[in-house]
Order: sequence, then C-alpha cells, then structure tokens
Amino acid sequence: MNAPARPDQSPLLDIAALTLRLPAPKHGKGRELLHGVDLTVAEGETVGLVGESGSGKSLTARSVLGLLPPRADVSGTVRLDRTDVLTAGRAQLKRLRLSAAAMIFQDPRAGINPMRTIGDHLTESLRLGEGRPRAEARARALELLEAVRLPDGEHHLRQYPHEFSGGMLQRVMIAGALAGSPRLLVCDEPTTALDVTTQAQILDVLAEQRDRRGMGMLFITHDLTLASAFCDRVYVMKEGAVVEQGTASRVLRRPEHPYTQWLVAATPTIEVNGDEPGSDGSGERGSGERGSGERGSGAPAPVLEVHDLAKTYQVRGRGPVRAVAGATIAVPAGEALGVVGESGSGKSTLARMIVGLEQPDSGSVSIAGVAQTGTPRTRAERLTHARLIQLVFQDPYLSLDPRISVGRAVEDALRLHHPGLGTTEARSQVLGLLGQVGLVDAHAQALPRTLSGGQRQRVAIARALAIEPAVLVMDEATSALDVSVQAQVLDVVSAIRRDRGLTVLFISHNLGVVRTVCERTVVMRSGEIVESGRTVDLLTDPHHPYTRLLLDSVPRAEPDRVA
Amino acid sequence: MSAPTPTLALKVMRSTVRRPARVGFTIAVVVLAVMALAAVFAPFIAPYDPDQVDFSAVYASPSPAHWLGADALGRDTLSRMIYGARTALLGPLLVVIASTLLGIVLGLVAGWRGGWLDATLARIFDVLFAFPSLLIAIMAVALFGKGLVAPVIAMSIAYSPFVARLTRQLVATERSRPYVSAYRVQGFSGAWIAVRRVLPNVAPTVGAQSTLNFGYVLAELAALSFLGLGVQAPLADWGAMINEAQAGIAGGYFLPAIVPAVAVVIAVVAVNVIGEELSDRIGGRTPA
Amino acid sequence: MARGRAAARQVAGKLGSLLLTLFLASLLVFFSRFLVPGDPVSFLLRGRKPSPEAVAQVTSEFGLDLPPWQQYLNWIVGMLHGDFGRSLQYRQSVATVIGDRLPVTLGLVVMAGLMITVVGLIAGTVAALNHGRIADRATLTFLTVLGAIPSFVGSIVLISVFAVQLGWFPAFGSGTGLPDTVYHLVLPSIALAIVFVVLIGKVTRMSMVEQLGREHVEVATSRGLGRATVVRRHVFRNAIGPILTVSGMLVAGLLVATSIVESAFGIAGIGSLLVQSVDRLDFPVVQAIVLLVVTAFIVVNAVVDLLGPIVDPRAAAGEAGR
Repeated sequence: MNAPARPDQSPLLDIAALTLRLPAPKHGKGRELLHGVDLTVAEGETVGLVGESGSGKSLTARSVLGLLPPRADVSGTVRLDRTDVLTAGRAQLKRLRLSAAAMIFQDPRAGINPMRTIGDHLTESLRLGEGRPRAEARARALELLEAVRLPDGEHHLRQYPHEFSGGMLQRVMIAGALAGSPRLLVCDEPTTALDVTTQAQILDVLAEQRDRRGMGMLFITHDLTLASAFCDRVYVMKEGAVVEQGTASRVLRRPEHPYTQWLVAATPTIEVNGDEPGSDGSGERGSGERGSGERGSGAPAPVLEVHDLAKTYQVRGRGPVRAVAGATIAVPAGEALGVVGESGSGKSTLARMIVGLEQPDSGSVSIAGVAQTGTPRTRAERLTHARLIQLVFQDPYLSLDPRISVGRAVEDALRLHHPGLGTTEARSQVLGLLGQVGLVDAHAQALPRTLSGGQRQRVAIARALAIEPAVLVMDEATSALDVSVQAQVLDVVSAIRRDRGLTVLFISHNLGVVRTVCERTVVMRSGEIVESGRTVDLLTDPHHPYTRLLLDSVPRAEPDRVA
Repeated sequence: MSAPTPTLALKVMRSTVRRPARVGFTIAVVVLAVMALAAVFAPFIAPYDPDQVDFSAVYASPSPAHWLGADALGRDTLSRMIYGARTALLGPLLVVIASTLLGIVLGLVAGWRGGWLDATLARIFDVLFAFPSLLIAIMAVALFGKGLVAPVIAMSIAYSPFVARLTRQLVATERSRPYVSAYRVQGFSGAWIAVRRVLPNVAPTVGAQSTLNFGYVLAELAALSFLGLGVQAPLADWGAMINEAQAGIAGGYFLPAIVPAVAVVIAVVAVNVIGEELSDRIGGRTPA
Repeated sequence: MARGRAAARQVAGKLGSLLLTLFLASLLVFFSRFLVPGDPVSFLLRGRKPSPEAVAQVTSEFGLDLPPWQQYLNWIVGMLHGDFGRSLQYRQSVATVIGDRLPVTLGLVVMAGLMITVVGLIAGTVAALNHGRIADRATLTFLTVLGAIPSFVGSIVLISVFAVQLGWFPAFGSGTGLPDTVYHLVLPSIALAIVFVVLIGKVTRMSMVEQLGREHVEVATSRGLGRATVVRRHVFRNAIGPILTVSGMLVAGLLVATSIVESAFGIAGIGSLLVQSVDRLDFPVVQAIVLLVVTAFIVVNAVVDLLGPIVDPRAAAGEAGR
C-alpha cells in the first residue's frame, strides 16, 4: 500500500528546523509560532500531523506550498522535491504548486469561489497556469470528477458550489488539487467539518487516489485515532513544536511523550472498555417506542417524557422539510440520554422543541410530570418553565453576552429566579457555582472574549446550574472544543451529575463522547429515531443498519501496520 | 485561546496590524471642541459684531484689525466665522440626535419583531431612500419657506431610515445569536432582552455611524444656505457667507469665500476622523 | 427548466416591487403639498398676484375643486401622457422647460460619473492591494480629505483657482456645441465628483479587502496561479457586488448635487432650475423635478438589483449573498 522510503532516495518533503516568528507590532512583542519543526514525507508515504488548535500544524502545512504570511519571519528549510520553498523564486514556486504539490483545505465552501462554476474551479490552473487549451482542460476535469466518484461530470461542470453538499464539494476540491498530478497532497483537516459517514467516503476517495497515483500525503488532523487509521507515520505537535513521532500504531498504543499520553487518554473512542456510566446492566433495548412501564420495579420515574413529537418546516423554494417525526423518548431521573445523529438528523430541532425555543407541530413534552404547552406568556410561567429545563449551546463564542462579565451573567440568571437575594449572598453563590465548574474567583470579572472556549462553556454550565433545573440539555456542547478541553468539560459534567443527580439530555454527533457520558442513547436519522437502548449495547451489537453504518464509518486504528 | 474552528494560521494571516493614528483623532477632537466653544461663547470671543458694516474696510486684507480680513460690506470675517459656527453646528446636532433616536426605536422594533411590521417598515424605508436628503430638505423649503427649521425637521426624517436600517440589521443578527436564546431559556422576557441586553450591544455601532452622519448633514445644510434656501443673508452662516462672497470672486477677492469654505472642510474632516475612529474601536469589540 | 421559471418569477417580483415603490413615492411627492396648512390656491400662488384669472387657471390645472384622490389620478395620467403641468414662472409647459435643460445636466452627471468610477475604483484597488501599508493609509487619508469637500466648496475653490486666478477654464455657463460644452463642464463635473469618489473608493477598498481574506483566494494561489490572475478572477470579480449597489445609490445624490454645482457655475440645467423654482415659488416645476429624481433612483436601483443574480449566482437561487 505504501512504498517504504528507500534510504538512498531523498524524501519527497523535507522540513528542517522550521521556525516562524510574527514580527512585533509597534507596541507589543513578537510571537514565535513554530519552533524548529522537523518533518519528512517519503515518496508514496502517508504522514499524519496531529495537534490541537494553536499547535502550529496548519502553519506547517501551509509552509509546504509557500502560503505563509508575508510579514512572517521564517527560518529553516522546507524542501519540496529538492527545492527550498522558502527561498524559491516566483517562477519556481509556481512550478512547484502546479505539479509537485497541492493542498486541500478544511472548508470547501470557503475554498471554492462561490461565484464561479465548478468547471471553472477545476480547469483554472490547467488553462491559466499551464496554458492548456480549453478542450483539453475540460476533458481532464471530467476525468478528475470521475476519479472522485462524481460521475455526472458534464452536468456538474456547469453548476455552482452552492448547489452541492459539503461532501460533494470536498470531492470537487480534491479533484481540483489532483489536476496537476501532484506527487504530494497536503490535506488540512479535510474531513473535520463533515459528518462521520461523509468523512468515511472522503477518506475512501483519498485512499483510492493515493494508491493509484503513488502520491505522498501529509494529513493534518486533530483526531489522533483518525491519523493512526489513515497514516503510516504520525507526528504530534504541541504549541509550535513536534513532541513525538513514530509509526501510527506505536504512537497511538504506546505513546511516549506525556502530552501524547494525555491526548490519547482524552480522545473519545467507541471501544467499549467498562468505564461507561451505567455499566452495571440497568435498562434494556428497543427501537422507537418506550413506555415507562417497561422497566423493572424500583426504577425512578421519567423526568423527561417526549411523546410523538414532530415538526415540519416550510423552506422557500424547496417545499416542506420534515425536521422531526414521531420522536418518543423517556429519561429517568438522574440519567443521561444521548441523542446521536449527523447533520440533518433533527437532533438539534428536537432539543430546541424540548427546551421550548421552538413549538412542535404535534406531540407532547412533559418535564417532571408537568406537561409543556405552548410558549410561556407571563413572568411566572417563564420562570417556572426555566426551572424545569436549561440548555447549554454548541457555540462557546456566541452563547455568552459579549458585553457582560461572566460573573454578572451567572448572577443575572440567579437573581431572576431568586429576586430577594442580597448582593453579598448572590456574589458568593456565583463564586460557588464558578468553583463547581472549575473556574476561580478571578474569572468572575472577566469578559467572555478573554476566556478560552472551554472556560466559556463551563460558564454556560454554571449559568444553567444557577437556575437548578430538573433537566439539563447539552446541544453539541463540547463539539467545538479541543479534545483535551472537551475532556475537562465532560469531567465537570460527570462531577455535577454525581453531586446533584442531574438529568441530562446529551446531543452529539460523536459516538465516542456519548459512550463516556450517557447510559442510554437514541440514534436519529432524517428526523426519526431509528434505534435506542443502552449505549454499550448499541456500540457492541447494533441492530439498525444505519447504526451499523455509523459505527463502521468511525476510523479505527488497525493493529500494528507494516511501516 | 483554544478554538478549533479558525486555525491559528488563518488568524495569523488575516490579522492586520492596524494602529489608527491616535494623533489624528486627538487633533480632530480638539478642532471640533474649539469650534463648539466658539459657537457657544461667540458674544464673548468675537472682536466685532457680525453685522457691523464698515465701508472703510471693504475687502480688507488680513491685518491686526481684521485677522481674516473683511467682506464686501466691510464686516469682519473672523467675527462672522465665530458666529457662523452656531448655525453650522447646531443644525446637524439636532438632525443627528432626532434621526438617531427615531431610527433606533424603529430599527429595534423592526429587527426584533420581524414579521409584517418589519416588512412594512422596510417598504416605507425603501421609498424614503429614494429621496436624497438634500432633496427632501429642498422640498421642505419649497413647502414651508426658507430658513433652517423646515430643513432640519425634514432631514431628521430623511436620515432616520439609515439609522433604522443599520439598527435593524444589527438587532436581527444579535437575535439569532445563542446568547439571546440563552436569555430566553433562562426565563427573561423578550422585551427585557431586547431593550436591556441587545440594544446596549448594538447602540455603540449605531452611534458611531451617526457621528459620520453629522458630517454629511453639516455639509448639506451649509450647501442649502449656499443656495440661498437655508439660513438667509445677512445672517452669519458659513454657507450663506460663501453665497454672498461669490460676487467678489470674479474680481479676485477670494478670502471671504475661501475662509468659510475651508472651515466647512475642516469641520467635516474632523467629524469624519472621529466617526471612523469610533467605528473602528467599537468594531474591534465585537465577539471573536 | 426549474431554474428558468424561478428566475422569471424573481424578475417579475422585483418589477412588481419597483412599481410599488414608485407608486408610494409618487404619493409622497403629490400629497406633500397637503402638509402645508391653509388654502391650496394661496399656497400655489404665493408671491404672485392672485388675480381671478390666475386663480381660475390654477384651480382648473390642479383640479382643486376635485377630491384629492382624483387630483392625484389626473396628475399621474397627465404625466404618462407627457403633461407635467405649466410652470408658473415661465408660462410654458413644465415638460418643455425641463426638456430644454435636461441634456446639460445629463452631460454633467455622465462626466462626473466617469471620473468617480475611474478614480474611485483605482484608489480603492490600490488601497486594498496594499492593505495595512503606506499606500493604503495614504490613499485613505486622501479619500477622507476629498470626502470632506462638498460640491459648493469644491465649486468655489475650483472657480477661484482655475478659472479666475489661472484662467484655464471658464467659470460660467455651459457653452455651445459639444466640444465647447465639454470644456465648460470640466470644472463643474470635478466639483460634482469629488465628494462621491470617496464612496466608491471606500466600498471598493472594503469589498476587496474582504475578498482578499477569503480562503478561495488562498486556494487559487496554492494551485499555481499568478498574483494578477488571482486578484482579477477571485478578488475583484467577487468584490463587484457591493460596488455596484453603492453606485446605484449614488445616482440620485449626484442628480441633486447638480443643483449646487449648476448654481455656482451659472449652468442652465435641471439642478439650477430646481433651486430657481423653489426661490420663485414655482411649485409645479419643483414637483416634477423631485419626481424625476426619485424615479431615476428607483429605476437605477431596480436595474442594479436585477443584475444581482448575474453578479452573484447564489442570489439567483434565492439565498442570501455571501
């Protein structure tokens, strides 16, 4: 599958002592973003570059194609096909970009000009860069589309990016990159923004193309498991430096550097290993309907009951879209239920209906025995409703009011529900709540923009807890966070569940995360719940074909591969 | 900061090293302050009465007696400039305050409620946008007679759609943000969220834009006076002064026209510099 | 197939919207007269001798004995037939008076428009491509100062310097014959253009800077295309939308500003006619010119709007641009 690097052949890509420093703005200090990075990729080899945000992996990748910021102060060498990219002249750089290496980026919607056709995107470099005639470029474009499994080439060439789905667009981006038959393909988080099933398709396409062309690949990702599954060798980066490297399976299974060990421990996997909540065997499986009478005696009554919830949207120009249909769930007190699905599954709409941000077309929601009917009108109704259920949102950046200090945000929520609270009492309670989520007193005066994503999410949790709801809904609350930060926030959630016996509804697309948090899980697809049951059972013995597809699509590190 | 979405590389590449000229801003503020003070304290500062005619000083050149010279009727240019600052600054101030207040209220309601109210207001604004503000001012004069009263009222109405549109846009964006939904879920009422939380978040941006409008209004009201439709001669107003001074230009007497012209330009530049600096500073405070 | 039908529906919708706005605007223009307290006859005859013949003429011409909505209808129908009423100061049909003066104003606007477009686009592009560096800041300063020079100031300064002092250009009138007219219109069109150059310059700069930061520009560079090609095909091409929109909005402002420039330079165009008519209380002419300007704005903006889908294909699909 991969040609091992022959000792006498110089590597395809050889990065040595790459250091990048941002020059100091007039009043500040310069920052060093890359510290002496060493990295090689041999002909036909697939190398993974793993790191969290701020690790410098993207910058390193960009250096290969000479896309570093012009103001940056760079030293070291980046040898691509024996030419140093950093010192190459404009003509040399052009030649390298046309035929030696190409790059695919994370967000194909941002990377392809929305105002030009797909055909234009694919043939542009051929026509204007290499000077090939239009007909030849067009024929090549059709070949490429075929290669990335988009057979309706003639039609696609005339279409615009907004007419494609994310997965299809990423394949177009890959096709465009392959136009010049590059020997090295740099992939910058190409599947991070995609659903897991779409990701599997894209990885298939990439694998097929690299095998057929014998391309070398530099694969950037934050997902260590994915890197181990897809790549031969892996580098791990942290804060601008390489901390570990080795064969993919070795790094994953026997990490040496403390950071890598920490990363491996924090990365959620779907392998059942006994540390799941509810591993004591409570609960049973079913698909769809679930009544509270099915459980054995002594089980707590459901705190959250949803029966046959449905919602359909009218989308301009596309007719009715069924977001949720016939959703029925029941969550006993103190338990966490996971809702898993890809984009378009309706899981977020379901969450919003349960919380009351949207009204269902039909069906019922009942929290702590109280049926939820319509939007609360009076102040009393609003407050009562809020005390039943709270929500933590996905976006840590926009879910806090930017103008208000986080302490005040929590205090506002507190005071709304306890109007008679004195100032000192309120302040101390706020500090107490912040402490419970792992923040210190100093954080109380901070504005959201000075805090990290993980810290902001913890504030959001503290704010929700201030109201002491019966149910806490977390809508992809950790999806936008780095792996290690995510682990911290999930720890906080576990601790809170233990201390308060909180009931949690956990929405996520990530089965690995759900495994560590939820005793039971439901799987949604196209608005319907296709399977439900104990998380562990779902993972080890899925019944519904879609569940099986989801599980199969998750990258698994294979046992030790031949280097 | 750990945010997986925008990679560090992209952030680095997109960051622009923008150090707006603090010096320029300070100068602009000083200039505007001087003009405002001159307007307020005119009777105490001006060396002459602005209407005092002196035929021995017709078209006098700058001298210790007349620092900026004198016009066709021997009236001291400097004194007229000082008194002229009053109408030059007061009119725009009134227009900006009135249009901002009206615009914010309408924009908040339209942006927050949406629906038919928003659609109706949008239609009304569409119609108003078709009428350039100077045109509305001229129409007002045609209907109600010359002077500053009619144009000021008319322009207040003419500028509110701009303020309203901006406000509406900002409010609608904020409304779609999770923190607003979060407030709802916590149990706050819609009105409270709109007025106590969303409005303060958008008001600075709208205010900065309104500062820029001040410059446009200043120029337009002066232009109106220049055309003889606003402040009427022999009152001292920069636009009216230029109007009166036109006759002397053919004869080579530029000063009575150039001085007020330069003053208008300086005032507008100062206001624009302040407005842009404010917009930049406030723009930089929006969430990541 | 569906694309064509959807596009046709879009166009029809926009035309309908245009007509509605025109209708509402005409209502505003017509009924503004009713805001004035008192007797309509005395309002229309202000400053003139209210002789019985004059009263009768005004009453019959404006249909003052008819209900308001009928007056409005007569007015609209009359205009569609080319009858805009009679000027009180010239005793000619308004259409004639305006028609005589329209060409000069149009010439002025066209010349100014050319200057605005060329200088504005170049300045904006230079600033955008040198974003953050000296050329950018210098251009911005230049634009800021330029933007603070209203047309009446510009007129006075240009007349003082280039006409009176240096004698390079005439200070008065619009000349006879095409070359002479153009020569006469040079200074006025510069005076007119100055303040608007800023608007085009700034929106060009802002739009291009935004596009420069977009990822598809980086992608195109990574595929081996030269800088000029990338800027042309991906930056400028994408930046056009807002520039076009702003240009459309300028038209009415330009037309109104001609009133200032024409008055300063003694040019017999629509602008100076407007000022004159206000001064001489000739309401029919004022009304007609206001409607003309407003109609021009609405039509031009509708055209720009219709061009939207060509500029941004996403607009054709009914999605928000960008």
